[in-house]
Amino acid sequence: MIQVQDVSMRFKMSNDKITSIKELVTQTLRGKVQYNEFWALHDVNFEVKKGEVIGIIGRNGAGKSTILKIISGIMKPTTGNVVRYGNIVPMLELGSGFDYDLTGRENIFLNGAILGYSKEFLYEKYDEILAFSELGDFIHMPIRNYSSGMLMRLAFSIATVVNPEILIVDEILSVGDENFQEKSHARMLELMSGGTTVLFVSHSLKQIREMCNRVVWLDGGTVRMFDDVETVCDAYKL
Amino acid sequence: MKRNKYDLKKICAGVFGFCLIYGILIILIAWKQIQASQIGRGAVYGFVLLMVILAGYMMHLLQCDKTGKPSKGLYLIHTVEKYQFLIEQLVSRDFKIKYKRSVLGVFWSFLNPLLMMVVQYMVFSNLMRFQQDHYSIYLLTGIVMFSGFNDCCNQALRAIIGNASLITKVYVPKYIYPITKVLSASINLVLSMVPLLLVTLIYGLGNADHLYLTWAVLLIPIALVLLIIFTIGMGFLLSSLMVFFHDVEFLWGVLSTMWMYATPIIYPISILEGADNLLSKVTLKVIRVNPLYHYIEFMRSIIISGCSPALREYVICAAWSFGMLAFGAFVFKKTQDKFILYI
Repeated sequence: MIQVQDVSMRFKMSNDKITSIKELVTQTLRGKVQYNEFWALHDVNFEVKKGEVIGIIGRNGAGKSTILKIISGIMKPTTGNVVRYGNIVPMLELGSGFDYDLTGRENIFLNGAILGYSKEFLYEKYDEILAFSELGDFIHMPIRNYSSGMLMRLAFSIATVVNPEILIVDEILSVGDENFQEKSHARMLELMSGGTTVLFVSHSLKQIREMCNRVVWLDGGTVRMFDDVETVCDAYKL
Repeated sequence: MKRNKYDLKKICAGVFGFCLIYGILIILIAWKQIQASQIGRGAVYGFVLLMVILAGYMMHLLQCDKTGKPSKGLYLIHTVEKYQFLIEQLVSRDFKIKYKRSVLGVFWSFLNPLLMMVVQYMVFSNLMRFQQDHYSIYLLTGIVMFSGFNDCCNQALRAIIGNASLITKVYVPKYIYPITKVLSASINLVLSMVPLLLVTLIYGLGNADHLYLTWAVLLIPIALVLLIIFTIGMGFLLSSLMVFFHDVEFLWGVLSTMWMYATPIIYPISILEGADNLLSKVTLKVIRVNPLYHYIEFMRSIIISGCSPALREYVICAAWSFGMLAFGAFVFKKTQDKFILYI
């Protein structure tokens, strides 16, 4: 389903990020443009089979988000490549495509289009999204008037209305009030049990143990361990 | 996923049929104007040649589709098919946002060029007197075309950095962003044709010099499409440069003002032709290569002279359009993988 082959990602960091022509010219003339190379990922290899739920754990800066971005196609790795079969719905950040001047309804269509849903699909599922988000008549208001909880509810409802073949999740399981949290949790479990392949980053070992089949442990940009959930979690804890 | 929402044969037939009917319509209705202009018969030969090329290419596409051979055209059609809904949504978002909190709404698209013309007309017809027939229409055509172009470029400039939050979170082909920005801004350009034609009509009624709209107005879409293609090329270039150097925004402000003065919008080109000094000669040379001069003159000959531009103008305009598109797309393609590291 997904094959990550020898993926390395290098970031070049100049001492100051140069964002203007003047700076580039003056700095180059002075011979001051130094790049610090930083390998966020180094020769990462793993393979995910269809229907598996894979957890990714690691400390801050271990490269978890980077690997998710590379798998979603947002970033291109410096070397190596990723082979993926099936449509991917990345949930790296909820509601990143929202436009705050548009109404909730308009945003459903905009955000849906960005996530790659078709027009017919959205028209068909519109009521379902609205019902799940519990927004009621607020849906006709510009979303700049929404509370943060309402925004998150709307975003979650749009993102999870499909049954994607591959779902990529970056710690978003807790949104809204307790009631909605439970509901969204149930929806995630439903998605995961429905044959979807899931890649899932979390710092909560409890969640990982509960949901995943296998776990990738990233450490300093390399795979420290890739094995069954119990083995890795026990090792990680120590 | 659903693959064949578009039936390739239908598309080919549709495009071909549309071009054929549009071309024949122009030739039939505007025959008098075409004959009067410098093209004359050449128009018919050119048209037939174009249609033959088009038909040939479509046969080629169908062949590729059947044998499963990859081809640029097919790829383009499939991409459009896949992202049509997204493009629609993004364009309509930009357009809605523009007038969201204004009372008059879309009406501004009509009002803006009109008010601009009134101001500029009052200034320039009293302060400086140019020897130019139908000066107000001459001026208005220039203003509408240039401000349309400028508007599109300013929108496209921020296409990538403005959508940074999206680009870092969801995978969508990045070229969608400048294209949708230009398209949504060009809705304005298209709408402003209405006041332009209206003013021309009214002006023609009350004027002794006989300025009538002729069937040559059927050629307006060609002028607009060529200008928009050129602008998409500019949009690619500007938006990708903008990611790496934020100075481009300020630089472009100066550059576009220079560009405006290097284009005969408020002055007729004849004031330079007569002059003898070096500066005028250089300026004249600059103007002659200035693509916007050609687009605007294209439009002026349709509206003011009421006839088709010379065949040479078509070639120059098309060459600039597709040249710019190719160049912009090339730069964009080369740099797009690095965008995410800089925004």
